[in-house]
Order: sequence, then C-alpha cells, then structure tokens
Amino acid sequence: MISTLQKTIRPVWAVRGLHKSAVEVLKRPDPEDTVTASYGRFISEVKPQHLSSLVLHRSKRMVLDSIGVGLIGSTTDVFELALQHCQHMYAPDDISSVYGRRGSRLSPTLAAFVNGVATHSMDFDDTWHPATHPSGAVLPAVLALSDMMPNSKPSGPDFLLAFNVGIEIQGRLMRFSHEAHNIPKRFHPPSVVGTMGSAAACARLLSLDHSQCSHALAIAASLSGAPMANAATQSKPLHIGNASRLGLEAALLASRGLEASPLVLDAVAGVAGFDAFYEDYVPEPLESPNDGHVFLLEEQDMGFKRFPAHLGMHWVADAAASVHKLLVGLGPGTVSPSQVQDILLRVPKSKYINRPFPESEHEARHSFQFNACSALLDGEVTVQSFTPAALRRPDLLALLSRVHVEHPHDNPANFNSMYGEVQVTLVEGEILKGRCDTFYGHWRNPLTNESLRKKFRNNAGEVLRSEQVEGLIDVVGGLDTLGDCRDLLSQLQ
Amino acid sequence: MLCKGITESFGAAIHALNTTKLTDGVISRSKRMMLDTLGVGLIGSRTAVFNKALTYSQSFKSDERSSVWGKSQITLPPPYAAFVNGIAVHSMDFDDTWHPATHPSGAVLPALLALAEMLPSRPSGLDLLLAFNVGIEVQGRLMRFSREAFNIPERFHPPSVVGVMGSAAASAKLLALSPAECIHALAIAASSAGAPLANAATQTKPLHIGNAARRGLEAAQLAQMGLEGNPAILDIPSGFGVYYKDYSPSAMTVPASGDFKWMLEDQDIAFKRIPAHLGMHWVVDAALAARAKLENTARNFDLRQIRRVTLRVPPSKYVDCPLPSTEHQARHSFQFNASSALLDNKVTVSSFSEAQINRPALKELLSKVKVETPKDNQPSFDKMYCEVEIETDQGQSYAARCDTFYGHWRKPLSQEDLVDKFSVNASSVLCSEGVEGLIDVIGNMERVRECSILGSYLRLTSSQQEQCYSLRRL
Repeated sequence: MISTLQKTIRPVWAVRGLHKSAVEVLKRPDPEDTVTASYGRFISEVKPQHLSSLVLHRSKRMVLDSIGVGLIGSTTDVFELALQHCQHMYAPDDISSVYGRRGSRLSPTLAAFVNGVATHSMDFDDTWHPATHPSGAVLPAVLALSDMMPNSKPSGPDFLLAFNVGIEIQGRLMRFSHEAHNIPKRFHPPSVVGTMGSAAACARLLSLDHSQCSHALAIAASLSGAPMANAATQSKPLHIGNASRLGLEAALLASRGLEASPLVLDAVAGVAGFDAFYEDYVPEPLESPNDGHVFLLEEQDMGFKRFPAHLGMHWVADAAASVHKLLVGLGPGTVSPSQVQDILLRVPKSKYINRPFPESEHEARHSFQFNACSALLDGEVTVQSFTPAALRRPDLLALLSRVHVEHPHDNPANFNSMYGEVQVTLVEGEILKGRCDTFYGHWRNPLTNESLRKKFRNNAGEVLRSEQVEGLIDVVGGLDTLGDCRDLLSQLQ
Repeated sequence: MLCKGITESFGAAIHALNTTKLTDGVISRSKRMMLDTLGVGLIGSRTAVFNKALTYSQSFKSDERSSVWGKSQITLPPPYAAFVNGIAVHSMDFDDTWHPATHPSGAVLPALLALAEMLPSRPSGLDLLLAFNVGIEVQGRLMRFSREAFNIPERFHPPSVVGVMGSAAASAKLLALSPAECIHALAIAASSAGAPLANAATQTKPLHIGNAARRGLEAAQLAQMGLEGNPAILDIPSGFGVYYKDYSPSAMTVPASGDFKWMLEDQDIAFKRIPAHLGMHWVVDAALAARAKLENTARNFDLRQIRRVTLRVPPSKYVDCPLPSTEHQARHSFQFNASSALLDNKVTVSSFSEAQINRPALKELLSKVKVETPKDNQPSFDKMYCEVEIETDQGQSYAARCDTFYGHWRKPLSQEDLVDKFSVNASSVLCSEGVEGLIDVIGNMERVRECSILGSYLRLTSSQQEQCYSLRRL
C-alpha cells in the first residue's frame, strides 16, 4: 500500500508541497529494504548446502572444543551455583541435558543457561576477531533446543547450519563498528552479540519465517548488554550463559508471535536500536545466501585457548615460557625467584587485564602479571595454575612483586595486532628476553587437530568415561553427515 | 580501579533501612503507587503481549509457585510470575512515571509479590512497604548519577537500566540479605540491564519492565546463594556507567538515628489517565481545551472543517509517529492522541483498539496534523509543554496550551480519582470482592500481617463466582 503511494506521489511531491506528515511517510524506508529485514531473510533462507567444507571443518572444531570446555566447566563453583539456582527455583524438567551431570535435565532455556555458564566459567572457550566468545553463546542454546524438539531431532547438517548461523550473525554485527575491533571497554561483547547470535541460531533451527527471524533479533536486542566491570568476576560466565538462554528465549517468543522493532539493526537518529551498544555504528545489509555469500568463518578462523585464561594472557605466557627455557638452560633446572631482579612486561593497554596482585581465580585469569609469572616459574600455564593453592604460592607472589608493566605505542589493544614481550633482568645483571607475536592456538597459528583433540580429552575426561570421550570425538567429527543428532545429544552427560 | 565506596554505601544502606525509617509521607505516596500498579496490571492481563508471555512462561516447572494477577487457576515459578505480571503492568503504557523519567513501580512490585508468596518468613505489609520503597529509592538515586537521565531518553529505555537495579535492591531487602550480598545483587543485576529504546512503541516494550522485575529478583537470589560480581559496579565507568554518556555517582547514606530523606517525599510521581506515553497527556489536555474553545465559538461545528492541526511539542523521535499502525505505536504518537482527542472529545482505554486506530475519519484528521518542536520546549517531563492549534477552513484559529496535565506530579490525581481509576481497571478482571479487597488491603497495608494476602485477592476473577461466595463465608 505504501509503495503504491510512493509511486504516485513521488514525481509531484516537490511541486505540490505536501503536508509534513505525508512527506514523513515517504521518508520512511520500505520495510523490505532495511538492514534488519535483510538479516531476517538470510536466517530464514540459508540452507546446509550454503556451508562450504572449510566452514564445516572449522565449525566442527569449535563444537568439539566448546563441548570440552563446557564439560570441564561443569566442575566449577560458579556452575554449581547456577545449577543449584535453577534446580532450586524451578523443578527438574526432563527435556534438555546438563553438561557432565548424568540424569540432570532442565527446561531448555535453563539448560542453555547453565551450560553456557559452564562453557565460560574458566575463560577456556574460543575467541574470535573481532573479539567475542562466539560458541558458548550459541552451542548450549542449539543443543537445548534440539533436545526440546519433540519428534524428530535435527539432522547433523541442520544442527551445524544453525550453529554457523549463530556464529555468522555475531561476526557480521561486530563489523558494524570500529569499537568492536578492539579489546572492549564498555560492554562485554558476548553479552552484546552473543545473545543476537543465539537468537539467530535458534530462529534458524525452529525454521521461523523471515519476519519472525527479524523479530527474534529485535527481541534479543532488548536482552543484550552487560558492563565490562563484571569481567574478571564470578559473574562473567553468566554473560555467556544468559546470552545463550535469552537468545533462545527471544526465538521462542518470536515463534509465538511476539513482535519488536523492525528497525533494530538500522541506525535511526534519536531512537537507538542495536547501536545503543556502540559509539560508532554503520550497519550493512546481509546479502542473500544465494548471492555468493561467504561465511566469515571461511575468511577469519577461530582462536582456541591452550589454558583457561583471557586470550591476552596467551601472548605473555608464550613469551615468558621462552624465557623460562633460557633460565632453565642456564641454571639448576628449575626457576627460582632468587635469580630474578626485575620482570618487565610490554603489553597493550587494557585496564581489566592489568592486575598486579589478583585475589581470586577470576582475577588471575585476567592478569598479565600472574600469567607471565606462572609461565616463568613452570614453563607453561595450565588448568592447575589457577587453583587456590597455586594462587598463593610464595614463589609466585615473590615474582609478582617484581613485575613492571609498559604499554608501548606500537602494541594496540587488539587481538589481531598485539604482541607480548617479557624481559627478565637477573640479579647478576644479565637480561633475558622473550617475545610472542602469535601464540600457538591463535587464528594465525591454529591448533592442529591433534592438539585440539588432546585438549578435548583432558577436559572431557574430567567428567566423562573414556568411551564417552572418544564417542563424542567421533560423532562431532562426522556431524555433517549425521542423520539425527540424537547421538550427540545423548553423550553430553 | 577507582573505588569510592559508592557501591559499598548502597549495600550498607539497603541493609540498614528498616521500617522505622518509613515516614507517613512516603507510606502514603507509595501506597497510591501500589494500588495504581495493581490496577493497571490487572487490566493488562487481558492483552495480547501478556498472553504470549504467559503461554511461554507456562513451559517452566517449579516447586515454588506465585500468583499471576487476574488469573484464578494459573500460577508460575516466582521469577516468571514477576515477568508476566511486570509485562501486564506496562502492557498498555498505563503505569506510573517519575522524574527523572522511568516507570518505577512495575519493575519492583511484581518481583516483591512473587517473592513474598514463596518466602517461609511470610513478610508483613510493612515489610512489603519497606522493600518497595527501597526499590523506588535506589532507582531515583541511580538516575541522579547523570544529566542524560533527566531528559526523555534516546538510547536505553530507563526501566531496563534502573528498573532491574531497583528490583534487585527491593528483593535483596525482602530477603534480608547482608550488606555484602546486597552489593553483589546490584552487581549481578547490572549485567542484566540495558534495552535499546528502539523497542519502545513495539509489543516488546512491556517486556522491559517484566524482565527488569524478573532479572532483579534473580540477581538477588543468586547473590543470596553466594554469586559475586564487581563490588565497585556503581563506582566505575565500565560498570553501571556504561549506560550513560555522563556519569557521576554519589554515595547513599542512612543516618543511624534520625530521619531518612526519601526521594519520593521530595519528588512525587505521575499517574496516567490515558494508557499512553506520558507525553501524550499534555497533548490530549491541550487538544481537549482547544476543541472546547472551538465548540464554544462555532455552532454546528464539523470536524471536517479543520484545515490543519499544529502540535507544538518537545523533540522526541520515538513519540513522533504520524501514522501509527499498531496500538503500541498509537500509544507513542503525539499526532494520534491529539487527533483522537479532537475526534472523540476524550481519550480512553478503548481509543487504542485496532478498529479505533483504523477509522477513516481519524486517518483523515491525522493527515492534517503537523508537528513543530519549538526551541523552548525541552524534552523533559518536568519542563515540557504542549500546544495544539486548530485552523479551520474559514481561517479561524483556536489554540490551547497545557503545561501541567492532571495526574502530573505538580497536579496529582485526587485520592478519589486514583481509586476510581483502579476500580475501573480492576473490575475488568476481578469480581467486586477482589476489587474491594485490594483497596482495603492496600489502604491498611501498615497493619497487614501477611502481605501475600494480596495474591488471594488478585486471583478473584469475575468468572469465578464460586470463589467470591466462598470468600464471603470466611
């Protein structure tokens, strides 16, 4: 109706000088031409055949790693707390399984919540560029939703498609702003784009129509956004848990007909939509999957962590490990604080990972100083480096007191361009240096399949029997040809 | 990290406030808010958005159950009861509005009532009043941390920012959390704050209040279980400050002896007469006055003789909607509300039905409406005005201006009119025993032994005549 109006009036409006109200009707974009509508259409139209082999391969690695870190995460205090909260405030619901807890099932959004918390509980999950932890926000929701589907479970290809939609949408949204390219200062990215990714993935799995897909995203936008201040605290894992849960909720509400803003992704002056979360924001429409669309995962690989700490820690750990090797070569075979006079770290400027004396495991996972010193002492940082005992080691505390931090101008707070340098001055005066530009596990130097499986075995093996561990490796490996993802769903606890 | 002890002061204050600090003034004002909130929540339980949320929420199982307002047979897990009841309260944009701008009660009362019904400690009416006022006070304080909050919003919808914090504070109070736990309740809630304004004027807007209530309650419960967040969440810009462009927090202190100055005593609240955005109330009052002038002067006046209607309003994009197509848009449209007032000589609950929105006569009038935003008209509920000028085909002009509508905090609703609004709203859903019972309980809240009695009245729907009879026999 409106488009007809436009056609008849457009040629003469300049001449007639219409009332302001009618002119404003003309100025409003055609509902089909908005960025928001293009996203809705993409999600509803994309199919398994649109996934290339490279994208399938990379996303299967992400699924495996995400399950593994979720499983080991199910041994943490914060997971336990989240699980008890759900079991206490709600009753058991025989629908969606909880990672690593045989017989434990919850309502789908609650399962997505606790499994998401587990995934991010140790900061062990994948990291992308621009920065976010994409899988933890999406996989728990897709798994929970698959469990919920009454008669036939999704096929492996459909499952992988939904997962990849969730990842793709997150990547696309982050490219709307320059702000997103740097280590965050205001909103914790998983809480901003993660919820949207989860909503998109679930909308895809539910086969919602394009309008419902748009509304799912818009509803999710009102559930997005958590401040950075809660990173490095026990609440941080809830950002991923909530992203997963609320994105699923948004899709479920959209499937029931709930509607929201049709312009949520578009930039409308005076009324913020998704741009509320960014200082600079330039949205772009998403082309149809049939128009030569390439998934971002094809062009930008994922970073996997080798130890459970913020991504930035991996640079200083690798740099410090090389110094450790030098030290050990020089001396008695172990490193002692008595050898060390001074430690200098050259790292990017980022307040929330600059912690000279962390007081909790959460803070330790977000401390350049802590990770550098641990690697200097032990030659590596592992899961065990963050236990209460490890945090209080006298040797470690001694080293921590000797650390200084510099922020060179050429070291940007950006996971694509940063480096980490560790310079140790020995008491005898000798200076040992280590530098890392690209740690092993970074997208420029990806973990081999062997290394990834090893990490998975170590993680999953904490809670599952070895047959289950191997079973999961097999089923995820063959996910793109699996007829029914039931085999995957049944092996998570 | 600059830690000025502000969050710490809030934790201490929430813990320290007790019923002896409640003054007559704040009790009387907050009881009016509670009554109004229950009424709008009840009428809101018949909306489409409420039904969608209710159906969704019913998929959750739980041992603890709390009442759904206006439903005799349905109960929900407490967080979801808070969710749907909060949605009901905001579903028609009929709930209270404060200055700086937010809808404070809808974020707090549903959470408290849901919680009260499941607590073994069986909170009293005074306990409820205290917790409610804590929730309101915290919201008021947080909004004073920025200049941005004093104007009609553009980025985040205020209830989604401060509402969840108020709900967390109120719930923490009712749960009698320690000062440290109160701090963490606020920190956890901060990670649940912030919904973009774009969803105002859509069906999702009521969820901002529903989610504020639910997630604030959840934050308090998680804090009770020992979950921790950042204990400086209000102090630092990367904490609560992320929701504002300018941010300057200050501490909250409760004198050990002596009076506590509640913000509600200094700054009263506005109650709506029309289920629409607050700004609409000015334009409707002005339109009705202009229309009256027109009627007085011109006999046999025909609205079709109107050539143009000019509205002089403050600049605010999300309530500038020339041709609304949904009820949600209509509630957020200066043009629609002015036109409805001119056409019908009133704007009521029924003005926003699909049939009414689509009337050809209304659309015709809408096409003649022009909006101007004079420089002296500030987008602030404390300072704005609306002018409506009607120009007829004969070249006559009739204008009227409204600076303060009836119901605004400068011109509060009389108690009689407030109770009347409540009765009309509540009667659409409850039988008369339920309506009277609620007026009675709220009126005597300070003396009520168990505030969960409210739940029983909220369930006395008019289709359940047997329930009314059985209550009479008590």
